[in-house]
Amino acid sequence: MTTTRRSFIRGTGLGLLSFTVAGSAVMLTPRDARARGASFQVLNNEEVELTEAFGEALVPGARESGIAHFIDQQLSVDANDALLMIKYFNVQPPYVDFYRTGLTALNNYSRTVHDKPFTALDDETANALITTISNSIPEGWEGPPAPLFYLMMRSDAVDVVYGTVEGFERLGVPYRPHILPPDL
Amino acid sequence: MNKTTEIVIVGAGAAGSMYAAMLAEAGKSVTVLEGGPPWRPADLYSSQQWARRLKWAEPHAEEPAGVSLWFNFNAGRGYGGAALHHFGVWPRFHEEDFKESSLYGKGIDWPLEYQDLRPYYDRVQADIGIAGDAEAEIWRPDGDPYPLPPVPRFAQGDILKKGFELRGMHTAPVPVAVLTRPYKGRSACLWDGWCEAGCPIGALGNPLVEYIPRAEKAGAVLQPHSQVTRILTDKRGRRATGVEYYDAQGERNELHAEFVVLAAFGIENCRILLNSASDRHPDGLANSSGLVGAYVMSHASANLFGMFDADTQNHMGLNGGQIINQDRFGKVRQDGPFGSRQFIAGLAVKPNDLLGIAMSRADLFGTKLDDFMHRAVRNMTNMVTISEDQPLRSNRIELSRHQDAHGLPLAKIVYKASPDALALWHDGVAEGKKILAAAGAKEIWNSPQGAQHIIGGTIMGDEPAESVTNKYSQTHDIDNLFIGGAGVFPTASAANPTFTLHATSMLSAEYLRDNFDSL
Ligand SMILES: Cc1cc2nc3c(=O)[nH]c(=O)nc-3n(C[C@H](O)[C@H](O)[C@H](O)COP(=O)(O)OP(=O)(O)OC[C@H]3O[C@@H](n4cnc5c(N)ncnc54)[C@H](O)[C@@H]3O)c2cc1C
Ligand code: SF4
Repeated sequence: MTTTRRSFIRGTGLGLLSFTVAGSAVMLTPRDARARGASFQVLNNEEVELTEAFGEALVPGARESGIAHFIDQQLSVDANDALLMIKYFNVQPPYVDFYRTGLTALNNYSRTVHDKPFTALDDETANALITTISNSIPEGWEGPPAPLFYLMMRSDAVDVVYGTVEGFERLGVPYRPHILPPDL
Repeated sequence: MNKTTEIVIVGAGAAGSMYAAMLAEAGKSVTVLEGGPPWRPADLYSSQQWARRLKWAEPHAEEPAGVSLWFNFNAGRGYGGAALHHFGVWPRFHEEDFKESSLYGKGIDWPLEYQDLRPYYDRVQADIGIAGDAEAEIWRPDGDPYPLPPVPRFAQGDILKKGFELRGMHTAPVPVAVLTRPYKGRSACLWDGWCEAGCPIGALGNPLVEYIPRAEKAGAVLQPHSQVTRILTDKRGRRATGVEYYDAQGERNELHAEFVVLAAFGIENCRILLNSASDRHPDGLANSSGLVGAYVMSHASANLFGMFDADTQNHMGLNGGQIINQDRFGKVRQDGPFGSRQFIAGLAVKPNDLLGIAMSRADLFGTKLDDFMHRAVRNMTNMVTISEDQPLRSNRIELSRHQDAHGLPLAKIVYKASPDALALWHDGVAEGKKILAAAGAKEIWNSPQGAQHIIGGTIMGDEPAESVTNKYSQTHDIDNLFIGGAGVFPTASAANPTFTLHATSMLSAEYLRDNFDSL
């Protein structure tokens, strides 16, 4: 495989998705969308920051792999066309409600227990909080079931970090695609 | 807009496409109304994320959290249905699966015996191409040998086979609807493990490779984005006159037909029948027995994972696996639960998705997850235990108080795996762990209980008071209404259902074809 080909398919597996950079629609991987500062359609700044921090804590590399851009872009398309794991879990679209209330619950819970937003927690405290919400609905949690929210965010992070041609390469697994996803 | 056709088929999945091919080839005018998109092989991208487009977003069923029937996982959307991205593991049901009540006083007898279905199994396997080693499958009932040589084994298949052998258990190559060499113009498998995303080269026998092309060639009209909501009946409520559906623009339409075949997957079939209630059929159509929705079943399953020192090549092969063991298929065991169970081992996995490597340890995150991923992609093995569920009247599909976009109630799933299935599940997990230990696994773990396949809900039987259809999948109440799919099975077996539902659908389609003028 040539370098050019390699760089072309970098990040596909997720395909090139439609992002807006400086007012123009461009086809990019979520990673490149983040690197080029593509604007968000659905999530606000606080939600983006929180998505990136939580995603990174769940799967190292998620921030740079564009987890916030991936989720944001997916929340802006028709739910039937969405590529999100949440589709398996019988959650009523629009999925933005699930993500938004989950992110709010995460921050509120962090504030209640630690007096700070999740983004301000040190690694050890963040990890302990994540362990708690991964297997129980702690008192004071108000949002979608905490373990389900953990599982969905973790799955999205896994998708952007490991579920791409580049992610496979990093793990040392041949991708061996029949047909790669198109540019949408 | 109201149109007419001789036969309307609801759903272009496994069962619907079989009916469409057989009836169109018999010269009937056939229209297939499919709720989802018109997938073609070129739409099937090798990506676990993109595979999710083959799933419904809106829930069709209200389902309690936790262990249930997993509708959204088990159902598919668009041409090919769930069968478009199914794994192609196609064992036959065993003779005793058809008569559990008379043999053991459990379950419900089918109105058919294995020997009645055997010729249909043989014909389906010749149509689609199944790979296997009939002699090595010492448990297999009578049947023609497989048309294709068995699947190869890769490293994890060898490792796990040894584990079974050390426990005194037998294995055979898993029988699969996958081509091990070119067959009828279709390409052979490349063993790259993308089956769950749909096989675009046609190596896996999904509806897009055999029955949909045959149906279209014979003139059947497939109409995508046409969501059927109700079956219409004549004034006296004796015959179906067609169906109501909503098109891509959200417009209500009627398609009138002489025959209706409902093949929209088990739960949706029940929902459509229940939503078709009228003055003449206040409890829903074809429901004089009160059994539409009853006896819904699944297969209690668990994936069992082992971490080995050796390179397991777990990215190679089929998502369906490499070897099968049915040593525990016998229904009765001393002091143990009733029913069959089987293992399928050596399933190819990808890093992500519901059945992927990362999900196998959903408790891990951060650097621990990353370390695990790097080891597991190289050294993990994957096998599954599948247990028979019992038909319980209390497990059922009802109508929900929640509605869809057209104002019709969703299905409501009321289901708990039968006590026998749960006990078999525990036995399967315990035995699977011993097999992994014997094979030399350094770490062993399993997934939570899952629900694979959805069976029952519109069961067949001889007695109209005790079943919804007769042995031809024709409803007892409405002569010109047929039901396709595993919903008509009165028992679940532990064998994966899709080969058998092709056989029952072929039998049914042939009966409809041959009796078209008199029914
Ligand atoms: C991941 C996975 C792996 C599997 N692996 C295996 C395996 O290895 N072996 C095996 O035996 N089985 C397997 N199965 C099960 C197999 O896919 C099903 O048994 C089979 O597809 C059921 O056939 P069906 O015709 O009843 O439904 P489907 O094939 O799902 O077809 C139903 C069709 O109806 C359409 N539809 C639904 N509602 C409506 C409506 N209201 N109006 C119009 N159309 C509608 C759907 O879009 C779909 O196209 C697997 C399933 C999954 C999800
Ligand atoms: S492993 Fe074989 S059957 Fe599965 S997607 Fe690849 S070529 Fe198709």
